[in-house]
Amino acid sequence: MAILGTAFNAVGLIFLTHAVYSSSEHTAAFPHSPLPLDITIELIVSILVLSAGIVASSPQLKPIRWAKWGGKVAREGQRGEGRWTREGEEILSEGDGFAFLGLDNGIGGDGEGRRGFWDVRGKRKEYTAWVKKGGEN
Amino acid sequence: MSTVEERELAIHPIVVTSVQHNTQVVSNIRNLTASLFGVAAGTLGLESYPGFIFYLVGSFIVSALIFALRTDGKPGDYFHRPLGDMWGGDVFNGLSSFVLTWTLFYGLLRA
Repeated sequence: MAILGTAFNAVGLIFLTHAVYSSSEHTAAFPHSPLPLDITIELIVSILVLSAGIVASSPQLKPIRWAKWGGKVAREGQRGEGRWTREGEEILSEGDGFAFLGLDNGIGGDGEGRRGFWDVRGKRKEYTAWVKKGGEN
Repeated sequence: MSTVEERELAIHPIVVTSVQHNTQVVSNIRNLTASLFGVAAGTLGLESYPGFIFYLVGSFIVSALIFALRTDGKPGDYFHRPLGDMWGGDVFNGLSSFVLTWTLFYGLLRA
């Protein structure tokens, strides 16, 4: 869906630019004549394609009923939109204006970083598997 | 708020963060498309009422696109009041950006 939206946006932008440029040239040449039909059609088609692209590339809506929302979370797991570490911990760097400095993991990348929700059940499962395997690394 | 609605909300509680997220998505789409419709209206050289009618028709098309692509035809799952929050949501907030680009492109191309 995201690729489709981006493609729509690109095609729509090209056609919109072309239509606006043609209309600008036309009014420069014939100042007081109405716009030709082909430019009008191109303009309207381009904005329709662009708005379809904008809607298609917007983020998914979330269900507002508690039951449906909870069901979705239970089915798809507790996953926020943020980034996740391989250990299943959410990196709560949303709203961090200095994320581009790359200091999320501490200076030099050897610190603990910022931990969010800690998946206790996942950790327990991992530990059980490790014990069953014989407890060695 | 009527008692019936209160009882309805007590039986089916609503997730506030989801409502906020959905409102933000709709408002984003509205702002982007409103300036787009302004570009088209200015380039077409619309004046006075036809321009505003063009905007209303365009907003309705965008609402229909949201209805079809984002809510899968079930707006009740994503909006508390589908009529006000999706079909009419933020239409008049986008009006100012519509008029802005409308006058800009009208001035660039026609005046």
